[in-house]
Amino acid sequence: MMALAKKPVRRPKSGGIKGYRRQKFFWAIIFLLPWALGFMMFFFVPFIRSLYFSFFKLQPTPDGLISTYNGFQNYVYAWSQQVTSTSSFRVELINTTIDALINIPVLLIFSLFIAVMLNMKFRGRALVRAIFFIPVILNSAAVTTALGGGEAIAAILEEQGINQIFNLQFYLLQTGMMPWLINFIVSLIDRIYAILSLAGVPILLFLASIQSVPKHLYEAAKIEGATSYEAFWLITLPNVSPHIITVTVYALVDTFLTSSVSTIISNELDKSTRWGESAAMAWIYVSTIIMLLLILAVVAKVFKIGGSHYEEA
Amino acid sequence: MKKHDYLNDARTFYKNAMTYLRKPRTKLVWKRRISEFFLKFLRTILLFGLCFVILFPTIQQISMALRAPEDVNNPAVIWIPEHWSLMNLKISMVVLDYWRSLLNTIRLSFISMVLQLFSTALAGYAFSRLKFRGSNLLFFLVIITIVTPPQALSLAQYLYFRAIKLIGKEVSIYLMSGLGMGIRSGIFIYIFRQFFRGLPKELEESAQLDGASVFRTFWNIMLPNARGALVTVGLFAFVWQWNDAYYVAIFDVSNAETFPLLTMQLINAAEGMYQALFYTGGLDLIGQNVWENPLFLALISNVSALLMMLPLLIMYLFVQKQFVESIERTGIVG
Repeated sequence: MMALAKKPVRRPKSGGIKGYRRQKFFWAIIFLLPWALGFMMFFFVPFIRSLYFSFFKLQPTPDGLISTYNGFQNYVYAWSQQVTSTSSFRVELINTTIDALINIPVLLIFSLFIAVMLNMKFRGRALVRAIFFIPVILNSAAVTTALGGGEAIAAILEEQGINQIFNLQFYLLQTGMMPWLINFIVSLIDRIYAILSLAGVPILLFLASIQSVPKHLYEAAKIEGATSYEAFWLITLPNVSPHIITVTVYALVDTFLTSSVSTIISNELDKSTRWGESAAMAWIYVSTIIMLLLILAVVAKVFKIGGSHYEEA
Repeated sequence: MKKHDYLNDARTFYKNAMTYLRKPRTKLVWKRRISEFFLKFLRTILLFGLCFVILFPTIQQISMALRAPEDVNNPAVIWIPEHWSLMNLKISMVVLDYWRSLLNTIRLSFISMVLQLFSTALAGYAFSRLKFRGSNLLFFLVIITIVTPPQALSLAQYLYFRAIKLIGKEVSIYLMSGLGMGIRSGIFIYIFRQFFRGLPKELEESAQLDGASVFRTFWNIMLPNARGALVTVGLFAFVWQWNDAYYVAIFDVSNAETFPLLTMQLINAAEGMYQALFYTGGLDLIGQNVWENPLFLALISNVSALLMMLPLLIMYLFVQKQFVESIERTGIVG
């Protein structure tokens, strides 16, 4: 008691909980200031303009844009009249949504699994991590354009029969396997490549979040005799779960951003008479994602995924 | 007699071995060893296979890059070039204006990365730890910035930047990054928010009791603990800015004479090709009809893409070490 009483009691400078809260509010405003400025200047104004465009028929003329109001006509056009050579906006949007719903759970499990493995200690880990980073780099418009030339090379290689060197289907056919099995294996490998190229960023996010789990939890569990399997379910997963939401949001947005829907919107934008229609499509696209995110938020709330267990206390 | 002895030896050996194995402790040890072995075995096979799937196209490109131009059409050459040559690399370097573009790209990516880290870390911290009434509503606006496709805004943004006369200047990119509206800044704010939320509340409370101001708590306690988030976001910001061809094209930042950037040089590679061949003496090797040889043009843009990726890969080999033991080094454990 004596020892405790003698210790000098330091009080918060700004006087009590209330002062601290006021200080917090003050700093919150300062911290948010750059973002809020940018939001007002570079997002809100263009956002409102684009929303405004979506209700107008825009006609570029030498004297500037001529806009005539046409109500929801652009939205009607986007939803039921827009067609491309092989598909339409509506079909692509629905396909992308279904794809996203199927792919994202697979992607989550796969990338978490890989991240856990890349977090283990083994020889050549740096190299393997670097290799898994390649899809992140390759995921670039410029590189894709340049590698578009790669398809030309592939076509010529095929012409010369060189492509057969590593053509799995070709080899499997020679072994006399059943055709449906061959198709299954080949499509599986294609699918793995597709998932790998999407999983680059999620793997890194999971890796970083696993790293931020306090190490002493694992040490304590090891002393208590927990296997690494138990450690994963009881330590890694609960600590990583807030980031599962982050990764889901990223994957969802990325799926849409790299999908054909996004390409259709850009193509319409390039036809300079279709700005209004393009804007309307963009807003249909945004509202679809927001709807999916809301569903996701409800699911997360019901299953209690993603809540930080430090915050509830 | 001797036969009997051997039998007895074998029996005692068997008995000893069985008692050794039946001990609960040894049982456990062996079980562990076997399961560990299987884990390693499976992990090696799986990682090896996946690495192969990722690397296969890249290896093919590298093999293409290293063969002499006259080998390109040679059907006998499949993996290992008959004539090794750095000619393709030389041509690509001229096409890209490599060293100048590289320096410019590094500068642009680095400055914009620092600015993005600054603006998004602050916003992420405010959204997770400095909550006030209405901050959740503001965070919903962040979500909207994440989901809005850039092409929906690009037209209006272009008109805006033209009005303040920043088109064609790199400052336009820095302004966007510094104000939290750069490439995928929204998702960075989200990442930071999730990381800061995951830090124990006791850290903040003890700092508060020791009389630290809100800013000091953030700077000295919370930020070092969110090192994983800093490294991740920094990496993504750098790589995405490096690879960006969209904003750079809209704001017209890249300029072949004054400010070449790797992405734009790569996209315009075909145009720079003839000149490059002329200067490197490649013309004599392939003949004058370069334009009738689309394969060669494709090859050069492939090599150029490799050259663009290479610095990022080398950088990552150093950065990936930061992903290890980030918490322990800060010395503060929740």
